[in-house]
Amino acid sequence: MLEIRNLHATVGGKPILKGLNLEIADGEIHAIMGPNGAGKSTLGNVIAGRDGYEVTAGEVIYRGKNLLELEPEERACEGVFLAFQYPVEIPGVNNTYFLRAALNAQRKYRGESELDSMQFLKLVREKLQILHISDDLMHRAVNEGFSGGEKKRNEIFQMAVLQPSLAILDETDSGLDIDALRLVAEGVNRLRSEDRSIIVITHYQRLLDHIVPDVVHVLADGKIVASGDAKLALKLEEEGYTWLEQGGIQALNVEIRA
Amino acid sequence: MNTSVTNPLVAKWSSDFHSVDQQQGPGWMRELRESAAAQFGAAGLPSRKTEAWKYTPVRMLEKLDPSAIRPAGRDWQDAAFPEPVCEASAGLVNISNGFLPEHLPDTTTGLTLLPLAQGVEAFEEKLQSLLDSVQLDGAAKTFTALNTAFLDQGLVIHVGENVNAGSLLIRWAFSGEAPAQLSNFRMILLLEPGAELEIIEQFESAGESASALNVVTQVDLAEGAVLGHVRVQRESDGVVLLTSTSVEQAAGTRYRYNGFDLGGGLVRHELYTRLAGRGAEADFNGAFVLDRKRLVDNHVSVEHASPACSSTQFFRGVLGGSSRGVFNGRALIQPGADESSVKQSNANLLLSTLAEMDTKPELEIYADEVEASHGATVGQLDETAIFYLRSRGLSDAQARHMLTAAFCHAVTDRLDDRSLAERLSGMLDEAMPGDA
Repeated sequence: MLEIRNLHATVGGKPILKGLNLEIADGEIHAIMGPNGAGKSTLGNVIAGRDGYEVTAGEVIYRGKNLLELEPEERACEGVFLAFQYPVEIPGVNNTYFLRAALNAQRKYRGESELDSMQFLKLVREKLQILHISDDLMHRAVNEGFSGGEKKRNEIFQMAVLQPSLAILDETDSGLDIDALRLVAEGVNRLRSEDRSIIVITHYQRLLDHIVPDVVHVLADGKIVASGDAKLALKLEEEGYTWLEQGGIQALNVEIRA
Repeated sequence: MNTSVTNPLVAKWSSDFHSVDQQQGPGWMRELRESAAAQFGAAGLPSRKTEAWKYTPVRMLEKLDPSAIRPAGRDWQDAAFPEPVCEASAGLVNISNGFLPEHLPDTTTGLTLLPLAQGVEAFEEKLQSLLDSVQLDGAAKTFTALNTAFLDQGLVIHVGENVNAGSLLIRWAFSGEAPAQLSNFRMILLLEPGAELEIIEQFESAGESASALNVVTQVDLAEGAVLGHVRVQRESDGVVLLTSTSVEQAAGTRYRYNGFDLGGGLVRHELYTRLAGRGAEADFNGAFVLDRKRLVDNHVSVEHASPACSSTQFFRGVLGGSSRGVFNGRALIQPGADESSVKQSNANLLLSTLAEMDTKPELEIYADEVEASHGATVGQLDETAIFYLRSRGLSDAQARHMLTAAFCHAVTDRLDDRSLAERLSGMLDEAMPGDA
């Protein structure tokens, strides 16, 4: 699905990613954990193609294509989805209208017929039910006046409608209470499938209790410094990131290899 | 004063004034024309030094060099009118090249439409006091003085007590063939106590034209009367449109203005209301979407002269190309006009580095317990929002278009008439400047 080789990226001239390698197979869920400033969000934004994130070296191959050559909308149409850490409020743009326009843009790109409003409504109703989201959300402007939990659920709802092949959830758990966290995680779990890979970027282990990853990576200072199974996340939670910075990772790597 | 006398356009219009018979109407009207002509001649055209016209140069008008009278020796064709912007239950009046049609539509009981001359006969006392009350002095008021000097073409609309007269559509158009002319037109609306009316003015010619229209509108709302006033302007680049509307509101009246400017070369709307009676309300909403070298100026002024009145000013502008926009929103709360509520908001989007917007709120409060808010912004589209939309699959152009349209829909959302709102939203979308 995704292969990232030796990725270097700067933000405002400042190096953030410093030779990141990552390989994700079809249907896998990978968690990326790490302290603040390690480059977690930068990775998500680089994959999605945000302006201001400059790739200075390396490559990102997604389903055989060089992702870095594509515009953000082309990446989306190819099936890449970024659930924003801070979903953007867009006053005046109706949630339904926006999402239908987005879905139809993607369908058009793939040579599929566009959905009319009746067909779209049917699809939306289905997804809303699955995610326990109220109808009311659809009649409001995109994210405007949404609570933190509503915003994050709206991201997952968009994901459910757009059906991406590669989804990056950028700190989708931040700002959520336990109930909202469970709802969001449930939504994500329902979207797990053999042909969909998911990158879960998170600071805390608690989300991974609900979305159990196949692989956990530790990102520190712009590089993946350790990879393992779900137990790695628990270990990190136990030891804290300070332990990591103090060289604990070497011991850990030895432990994993053994 | 010397400079104004030497302005060729002022000289031309003054000479136009003296070349036509100004004898029609009662004696007070003739005197009014004469004194207005004298005031116009003395004041001349507004310049950069005229505060109210500081950002609105009238160069385009000088270049157009129109006659203030109908040029002789040419038979004018009636202008062709485009599709009506909406249906109107009370009828349709087509004003071609600034001239009233020979026949006004038949109206239902309680609604009277009269040409100005007949209106003066029917409601002389009221009209005399209204016409005499207009401020004409100084360069800022020069086009109103000019309009008064040429007082001839006009429409008087009267709605009887407690009559809901429905909606009336007034279409303005120019014929492309016509030589450049400045048409002066007076519109007078008299609403008796409890009367209701909605007027929709559509300024749109079927083809390209180069002409100027100077409309002065006077509205008198008796106690409890309600007037809705919609303007949709989609003129071509060669058109100059100057409007000056003044409303006098008695207690419990409501005036709602919704103006949409999507075209024209040089467009200026002066909108004034005086909330004279307790509990009167006035709302001024407007949106403009400009490209190329268009200029649209909205000068709104609300005077709170009685307690417990409320007013809003809500304007949104989108500027592309090398267009220019001006918004001046004034609210004056007179002593004693306690418990007034004043809300003012003007936000603008610049889509091009060559576009320019000048916006100025003016709040003067001399009363107690006044609830007032104002805000004015000029900015660009939010790049984060653009990326958000693109990350969902919309192209850069689609994303920009969606955000820009949404910005203007904030104004159409305020309309009660949902089908008109939808129509106007569509028009705003169409008018959006392409990729700059």
